[in-house]
Amino acid sequence: MQVPAPFEYERATSVDQAIGLLERLGSSARLVAGGHSLLPMMKLRLANFEYLIDINDLHAELGYIRLSDDEVRIGAMTRHRELLESDVLASVLPIFSDAERVIADPIVRNRGTLGGSLCQADPSEDLSAVCTTLDASCVIRGPGGAERVVTMEEFHVGPYETAVADNEILTEIRIPRKSFRTGSAYAKVERRAGDWAVVSAGAAVWLDEGRIVDARVGLAAVGPNTTGIPEISAALRGHEPGESLYELAGAIAARSCDPVTDTRGSADYKRHLADELTRRTLRKAVERARS
Amino acid sequence: MTIEINGTPHDRTPLPGQCLRTYLREEGCFGVKKGCDAGDCGACTVHVDGTPVHSCVYPAFRAQGRSVTTIEGLAGPSGLHPVQQSFLDAQGFQCGFCTAGMIMTTAALTDDQRADLPRSLKGNLCRCTGYRAITDAVNGGSPAVCPAEGAAVGSSLGAPAGPQVVTGTARYTFDLDVPGLLHLKVLRSPHAHARILSVDTSAALAVPGVEAVLTHKDAPDRLFSTAQHENEAEDPYDTRVLDEVVRFIGQRVAAVVATSEAAAEEGVRRLRVEYEVLPAVIDPALAMLPGAPLVHGDKGIAEGIVRANANVVGELHAGIGDVEAGFAAADAVYEATFRTPRVQHAALETHGAVGWLDDDDRLVIRSSTQTPFLTRRAVSRLFGLSRDRVRVVAGRVGGGFGGKQEMLVEDLVAMAVLRTGRPVKWEYTRSEQFTAATTRHPFVITVKAGARVDGLITALQLTVLVNTGAYGNHGASVMHHGCHETVAVYRCANIRTDAHTVYTNTVPAGAFRGYGLGQVTFAVEQVLDELARMIGMDPVTFREINVVRPGDDLTAPGAHVPDLGIASYGLDQCLDRIRAASSTTDTAPDGWLVGEGMAIAMIAAGPPGGHFADATVTLLPDGRYELAVGTAEFGNGSTTVHVQIVADELRTTPDRVLVRQSDTDVVGHDTGAFASTGVVVAGEAVLRACRALRARILAAAERGPSEIRCLTADSVAGISLATIAPLSGSGHFDGTPRSVAFNAQWFRVAVDPDTGELRILRSVHSADAGTVMNPLQLRGQIEGGVAQAIGATLAEHVDVDEAGQVTTTTFRQYHLPTVADVPETEVHFARTTDAIGPLGAKSMSESPYNPVSPALGNALRDALGFRLTDLPYTADRIWQAIQDHRP
Repeated sequence: MQVPAPFEYERATSVDQAIGLLERLGSSARLVAGGHSLLPMMKLRLANFEYLIDINDLHAELGYIRLSDDEVRIGAMTRHRELLESDVLASVLPIFSDAERVIADPIVRNRGTLGGSLCQADPSEDLSAVCTTLDASCVIRGPGGAERVVTMEEFHVGPYETAVADNEILTEIRIPRKSFRTGSAYAKVERRAGDWAVVSAGAAVWLDEGRIVDARVGLAAVGPNTTGIPEISAALRGHEPGESLYELAGAIAARSCDPVTDTRGSADYKRHLADELTRRTLRKAVERARS
Repeated sequence: MTIEINGTPHDRTPLPGQCLRTYLREEGCFGVKKGCDAGDCGACTVHVDGTPVHSCVYPAFRAQGRSVTTIEGLAGPSGLHPVQQSFLDAQGFQCGFCTAGMIMTTAALTDDQRADLPRSLKGNLCRCTGYRAITDAVNGGSPAVCPAEGAAVGSSLGAPAGPQVVTGTARYTFDLDVPGLLHLKVLRSPHAHARILSVDTSAALAVPGVEAVLTHKDAPDRLFSTAQHENEAEDPYDTRVLDEVVRFIGQRVAAVVATSEAAAEEGVRRLRVEYEVLPAVIDPALAMLPGAPLVHGDKGIAEGIVRANANVVGELHAGIGDVEAGFAAADAVYEATFRTPRVQHAALETHGAVGWLDDDDRLVIRSSTQTPFLTRRAVSRLFGLSRDRVRVVAGRVGGGFGGKQEMLVEDLVAMAVLRTGRPVKWEYTRSEQFTAATTRHPFVITVKAGARVDGLITALQLTVLVNTGAYGNHGASVMHHGCHETVAVYRCANIRTDAHTVYTNTVPAGAFRGYGLGQVTFAVEQVLDELARMIGMDPVTFREINVVRPGDDLTAPGAHVPDLGIASYGLDQCLDRIRAASSTTDTAPDGWLVGEGMAIAMIAAGPPGGHFADATVTLLPDGRYELAVGTAEFGNGSTTVHVQIVADELRTTPDRVLVRQSDTDVVGHDTGAFASTGVVVAGEAVLRACRALRARILAAAERGPSEIRCLTADSVAGISLATIAPLSGSGHFDGTPRSVAFNAQWFRVAVDPDTGELRILRSVHSADAGTVMNPLQLRGQIEGGVAQAIGATLAEHVDVDEAGQVTTTTFRQYHLPTVADVPETEVHFARTTDAIGPLGAKSMSESPYNPVSPALGNALRDALGFRLTDLPYTADRIWQAIQDHRP
């Protein structure tokens, strides 16, 4: 058995009460949602906290998927399973169910949350790539109910590091909607079913009269954080979708990313996958936008 | 606040930092298992308010005010939960260590999730079954049977322990409550090679709860080998319980014994050690070069090391015929070099033992071991105790695969018990399992072979380098075995073998399913495949021309024990099945490359040089029989077969046979559950014991030994069995002579050239195991072996960095196959009856593993047009090879 350092355990009863606890305990405390990343790290003593503040009881407050005309709002405590099973998401943002199908297994999905995934800030984490692809913004609440909204680029400061301060909580993810035909898709190459990505890619496109109004690609596991590639968006806007355009996007993805050689594969292989998966997901996203 | 467990409130407050799994076990729910301690394996799955969770990453505090259901609470008042029943019916388990978690996950699946089992059940790892029996259990597959009197052998009888396994009541090594238990943890070496100059224990001893610190100064000045063989001379004596010199990163430096695991760990962190760092050698190819750092330069021939001054533990240089003449006579010659990596057994129950002194002051060690008797011998010798002062017992063992044919913990636990006089437990963490248990031996194998256009193999030449790591346990024997049956299966007049096993400053390798055959088969079968291509012959016909036939001698270079022969032959039938497989069709995704490949393997049924088993069968006053047999059950199913033998030989039903096993107090001796001997050696001893008892029962009724029909489940010649009980018969078998078993594997694969992903479209395995004693279990053994080999071929690799540090230390980095990764394998049995094995049976434990990697290699060669020589075949390597071969 591996024994984590002893820690005190507090159950949060509301977001503001949790922020109060964080204010009092400072950096010796950590929020725990699903716990599937944090607790193994604590057992291996890669992370040590004196206090764990369990925010699972905040699911009633922070577990929701709300659709309006101009955005989708998802509460940070929304669980993987809810994302996977949401009919709303499946119809407007199928990229979520694509990704959730290849994340872990039902037991992990029962507990793991969107907010926890984003806050873990693992560079190969799937939902971060999805949110990057969708140009999501993150709502962070601090003491006194103060809220700030940051982009995904601002949210992820580095590997395993986010913009959330010691006395703040990520409460909501907001995904903009545009009044065009839209499609999205996600694909991952994994070493084993449900594993972290060797490389994964998400794509979203918006079409108007057959032309691309906007397009976005997000990549995981090819850099210090999940990566959105503005150059692809610029190259695709205004054009009619097709194979040569996907190839161009793939080439941009391959040259824009920054993978390293590790046990999951060589940098060359990952660069190639960034290209290949960019093309595949764009193709699929366009297919969905047209259907 | 209380935690409700299976309907009963529990008031005890969890300790700070405690996970729910540990809390539940402390409250007596031993069905909740520790497999990985990190939410990766699913063995600890329980329901909290009806939802399945990994209890090892669920803070116990979080369960306060909630209702927890464990495997023990799943059954209702009317009996087993339907999922428990279906796992029992379909025998959806082998060792059973993962089963409780598997059942808890399954019980909570929605209909949609059940329809997509590969994705839904992939969070629960099983190392034994290959998942077919599990998916059968979930889907309601062919059930096990309860045979009538005299009809047990050949039936799919379920494992006797099945009801305990599915209810979480089977007791594994650590599933017992020992009052006053101390916990042991070790400090491990951060250096690949160093001399310990001093160990400052004062700060560790000051930690509250720490009772003792053990260093090399406390250890007996005796050498031993962690490997366990009947013949002790097989392995070099190069190991001490705690040594002054550490030879790999992860070796034991000192042990701390304390009243809690946390205190023991804290004690370990406070040890201060001064090292003199010594030069180290990591690469086995460099280890033999002049001037290389010597791993055991202080030892030599006396310790069983052939050339300690060149890091050579064992070597083989021998030939038959004239290979040069053979190559000259060939129309085609092919040569290639192959590399196989380290892989880990990854039994879901880690290594560990609990020791104590019993009421007679005898040392008792309860261990997760395949070799209780040999471990007793080793512990006795190390600590100068007579054998009757030591008892070694195994509970149900949660998987072994050869990894537990090794004494990795019992010696240190014994030392701690003897030092403190108190019960002591040491349980490996999953990370220790990777850094400080054993691995498969990495091999580099060069094979050169020649053939004539008519298909005859004219010469075979093997050059083999085996990396045994820092200690020589199994190192030489694995090399000798690997170089034997792999070539002995072919009639070839000219064979030459040059092989070395060398020390390096890396984690020691050890026994692992196949014992060297898997590695060398990987090379030989691929070279022969290429030769068949070169002469334009299909690979099955090429094998048919060259394989041994009944009556042939089994020869290979080197001195070999002459008791091995072909006592039954079904390889021809196996090859027929393979030929039939390639006439099937499958569809692959557009643009994917498709290929087919096959390979064969032969294995000796039992090790050379003696493997002993004793068994006693006793007629009890209630008319039941008690079988006492030494061999351990770790999911291999030998116990089931033993019960079948007893039932038929004594004309009773399996439910009237009780088994006592794997306890040195039970029978005189048993070499152990390794080398594929559970059925062919222990089973033969059981058969002989049954026949001895049967003769005595018949004699008690004044009948002759052939008048078997007089015996029924209740009476003999009309006399109630109760009136003549108790009566016993004993049987012994020394494991010689030996027969051989055969296996053949065929795959059709598809490869996505854009990503390198490989998909198995069809998998067919045919096996010659002699009499099929239990079709369901035999199929399970084969499926499990094939799945393990698929893992080792496509995904698994223990990585060791340039400094000698193992870098794959959790299941998140080391990938066991999940249910989604293993295809269904069609399994076919040859119809043969062996002249040596009990009731015509042969072994089938290790051998299904061996032909799998070369068959995949050959299929990949067929798909890609070129050959990959280094395992594993991961997607990135396949993709890179495709790039490298682009014109």
